[in-house]
Amino acid sequence: MNFSKLQEEKYFIKTKKFLLVGESKICVKLGEETLACKTVEIAHLVKPEAPFDMKVIYRDRANDFEVTFNTSHLQKKYVKQLMHDVAYCQEKNGNNWTHMNIFNTRLTLPLRKLQSDAMYEIKVRSIPDSDYYKGFWSEWSPSSHFKTPEANNAEEMNPVLSTISITSFFSVVLLVILSCALWKKRIKPIVWPSLPDHKKTLEQLCKKPEKNLNVSFNPEHFLDCQIHKVDDIQSRDEVESFLQDTLSPQFEESEKQGFAGSGQGHNWPSQIPVITSEAFKGELPFGCPTGNISACNASMHPSFWSPDCRKGIRSGSHMYQGLLLSPGTTDSTVLPPFPLQSGILTMNPGIQGQPILTSLKQSQEEAYVTMSSFYKNQ
Amino acid sequence: MFHVSFRYIFGIPPLILVLLPVTSSNCHLKDKEGKGYENVIMISINELEKMLDIDNDCLKKEPNFFRRHSCADKKEAAFLNRAAYKLEQFVKMNITTDFELHLLKVSQGTLKLINCTKEETISKETKKNDWCFLKALIQKIKTCWNKILRGH
Repeated sequence: MNFSKLQEEKYFIKTKKFLLVGESKICVKLGEETLACKTVEIAHLVKPEAPFDMKVIYRDRANDFEVTFNTSHLQKKYVKQLMHDVAYCQEKNGNNWTHMNIFNTRLTLPLRKLQSDAMYEIKVRSIPDSDYYKGFWSEWSPSSHFKTPEANNAEEMNPVLSTISITSFFSVVLLVILSCALWKKRIKPIVWPSLPDHKKTLEQLCKKPEKNLNVSFNPEHFLDCQIHKVDDIQSRDEVESFLQDTLSPQFEESEKQGFAGSGQGHNWPSQIPVITSEAFKGELPFGCPTGNISACNASMHPSFWSPDCRKGIRSGSHMYQGLLLSPGTTDSTVLPPFPLQSGILTMNPGIQGQPILTSLKQSQEEAYVTMSSFYKNQ
Repeated sequence: MFHVSFRYIFGIPPLILVLLPVTSSNCHLKDKEGKGYENVIMISINELEKMLDIDNDCLKKEPNFFRRHSCADKKEAAFLNRAAYKLEQFVKMNITTDFELHLLKVSQGTLKLINCTKEETISKETKKNDWCFLKALIQKIKTCWNKILRGH
């Protein structure tokens, strides 16, 4: 093959016969005389052809510049993979070039990286980028020039954005102020509802004790009341209706006997059916909830006791048999309904000094209903 | 009886030793990663296949060359070496067209990447316009290259 002279002491040869595999021995001959030979690996001496046809387009909406160029290696068979070096600078700055490496023929330059209203120069070169072909940078492509828009043009885009941002800022501030103002009254009850407090609810149900209570533990004040002490309980199977029929007349008789013998200290036990709290609907005479007699503050007026004692005992149509509530009962639990199988209490009406709660008014029913509904809600 | 056992003991093993180099392959692959094949030879083979695809009147009967030589196991390098020499017969002295350039790249590229200790004896020349044989030869070379690189 014949060389062509490129410059002084520089020759070139254009051929496709180079074997791109392994090492090649290249010799320069002058006539028949071999001047010089060199063994080279041609695949490592690749210098790509320079890119061309560079274009820069400003995109108004994206606010950037789109840079595209072409290279002949896109159509070549062997050296196809290249790395491109794009360099740009301001024309007035001279040689202050900014470099960017890319692997395709398209690049995007955002406007924020460039100065407004300035003239720029841009160019590109290539180098092989594969694990087999290696070599050198190509020559620079012909430069392209473009001008960035003025600052006013950029600001014209912002009024809409600035209006939206200011409006949204003020709306956020207003929202914060309203939320702070209405937090306690309206927002917090919805977001964090208050749960009912059991203690407070119970306090509302129980009436406050009257001030200046005249509490007396002098037995002489309770002489009008029939005090029946319960000694023991005997269980016996009886029909409820039979007990109602038989005991109601018996009770009146025993009542008379009891009243007659209350102040005389008779010790004979009288089998008197005791009226329980279930027989009455409503509060106790001194405002106690059902079953919690010991926890209540009783108003122990002597005048209060005597008429109620008689009234409670004489309500014979509502008599039931059952256990007498002991003073030690402290739970607020409702007494379970007694079965028909009842017991007869043997009481000693002669013993004094034992206040027994035997008169329960219809008003207990009201407290019972309230408490039961409270437990239902619970 | 003694002379019979003498023949078997001292006759056959030397015979095996003599014949062993004939049966064993004396070629091996230099480019084990296959970069030379992927970046140069394979590209030229594809170009040749495109150019030879026009001629579809080839007989299905396998040429004798492939009956005698095949890309058998552990003999891939030897077959490629022999096939490359055969391919060079289709290259003219004055290479002008791209077709001949690709033929040269495939044949000489393969010979560069395969190292054989014993030189191949050139078999009788094939007709240079036997395109059917050339097409089959290029396909066999491609198949054998893929096989030898898969083995590594």
